Amino acid sequence: MLARSGLGLLRKPATGAMFGASRLAVSRMIVARSVSTVKASHEQEQEILIAQRKNRPQSPHLTIYKPQLTAILSTFHRLTGVAMAGSFYALTCGLAASSILGLPFDGASLVSAFAALPVAIKVFAKALMAYPFAYHFANGIRHLVWDFGKELTIPGVYRTGYIVLGFTAAVGSYLAFF
Amino acid sequence: MLSLSTRVGLNTSRTALFRPALIRGIKTIPQPPGYIVGTVNDAYIPPKPHKLEGSLHWTSERIVSIGLVPLVLAPFITGTSTVIDSSMSALLLYHCYAGFQACIIDYIPARVYGAYHSYAMYLLTFGTGVAAYGVYEIESKEGGFAGLLSKVWKA
Amino acid sequence: MFRSLLRQQTTVQTGFRGMATAAAQTQRIKKFQVYRWNPDTPEIEPKMKTYEVDLNHCGPMVLDAILKIKNEQDPTLTFRRSCREGICGSCAMNIGGTNTLACLCRIDTDTSKDLKIYPLPHMFVVRDLVPDLTHFYKQYKSIQPYLQRDTLPADGRENLQSIEDRAKLDGLYECILCACCSTSCPSYWWNQQQYLGPAVLMQAYRWLIDSRDEASKIRKEMLQNSMSLYRCHTIMNCARTCPKGLNPGKAIAEIKKQLAFD
Repeated sequence: MLARSGLGLLRKPATGAMFGASRLAVSRMIVARSVSTVKASHEQEQEILIAQRKNRPQSPHLTIYKPQLTAILSTFHRLTGVAMAGSFYALTCGLAASSILGLPFDGASLVSAFAALPVAIKVFAKALMAYPFAYHFANGIRHLVWDFGKELTIPGVYRTGYIVLGFTAAVGSYLAFF
Repeated sequence: MLSLSTRVGLNTSRTALFRPALIRGIKTIPQPPGYIVGTVNDAYIPPKPHKLEGSLHWTSERIVSIGLVPLVLAPFITGTSTVIDSSMSALLLYHCYAGFQACIIDYIPARVYGAYHSYAMYLLTFGTGVAAYGVYEIESKEGGFAGLLSKVWKA
Repeated sequence: MFRSLLRQQTTVQTGFRGMATAAAQTQRIKKFQVYRWNPDTPEIEPKMKTYEVDLNHCGPMVLDAILKIKNEQDPTLTFRRSCREGICGSCAMNIGGTNTLACLCRIDTDTSKDLKIYPLPHMFVVRDLVPDLTHFYKQYKSIQPYLQRDTLPADGRENLQSIEDRAKLDGLYECILCACCSTSCPSYWWNQQQYLGPAVLMQAYRWLIDSRDEASKIRKEMLQNSMSLYRCHTIMNCARTCPKGLNPGKAIAEIKKQLAFD
């Protein structure tokens, strides 16, 4: 096992500082082979293995993986879902709190507050709601289709992915601007 | 043992693995080195079977999602009623709850965060309870979720 | 002594190769950035080391290039390789941002771009490009990847299977367990201790639908929790990256369908 995972009890003497005790042995060995071996029992090997595992770094992942349609659409599905669910909870919890605590916040005040905003911000806010909704709705249907085992090939994934993006652009724009 | 360790390059060890600044203050449960429990020949032991967290959860989530599709479309096409809007809001609440739950299991796993995982779940359950009361408020006083949204939209 | 011998060999080799290709060809120097980490000096952070290879004197695949680097430039560069034809799955690594087998991946001949080579993502690194796959294999072992029967075959000799039943295993049994798909899956990155990952789940499905296997009840029960199977969110990075062109995402969807009303 140790040898298989590159953990054999070997140490190249050519690099790094040498330890006094082994210097002589190493220099003698260099003539024959350029590696020295250390004897160890099975238990010692296990201990070394666990000690080495503690040292091992984690290889890079999110930062180096190529951005692909598959993962990007999935990320946006979750992001839009969390954002919309968060606003849904904020609205309903706000209304619940205002009714329990008697705060001056209800549907009518929300509507009038929104109406008082400048037109540009209103359109921006609508777009901010419309595009995530259109996307999450369309991609949700895409996921349901997949759950029935349909369109679950790489060509199918890409085809349905582009359909979802097209749907989002069209329906999101319609809801936001018309 | 010590001399052996130094001779196989274990005299120095790495500092703790990189952790995002956000969670540095939170105490996490230390994980086994290399995520390996037992010897290399032992099989990984999966969690105990729990259908409510397994297939039943998945199936109910899908049924709710399928149900949501016509209910969400209804206000755009045929117009809405209290019955449609109430059932839409109820299913939507469960859909949000299941979604948040999946995020907590993914990003705040009990394996690493221990009690914080439970706190997050309690907070979510409590929040869902409050939100459910809010949904009742919307349905009874504001004329429905879709109605409120369309009022905002036209404002 | 050793080093000088190596150098001698190199010049002989390049001279020979040079004659084979057009003699006066312009050099096509491609830069390879390779992830390096040495367990003997754990206090030194992993870093990228750049090597230059003339593509005129190198085979077409990435494995050819890293073997050439190891032979001629840096014998300490460590990676796994064996069959050099995509059947052993040893040389799985992250090349140019996606997981694939170095032996099946052509070098992009555009020399203006550097090629980055990392070990499989979000795995513990044993050394350089060698990830620790122990946990991955332990997970594979947990799904009991072998035929389980209580009854003896009807003729007392063979467990027979119809052609249709055998065809169900196509696209599943070809998996070489290179771990490219599992380590491309963000769900596996965040929860690899408990989530089995696409490669192992595809093998779980392979035994689940085998008409000769009689242990499907236990097999299904093992997946009945929130972590083992249901961390799959159908991201489909797995099928996108599989160097053998298999579709683990579809296999997982089929397991979910089988379990849905279980």
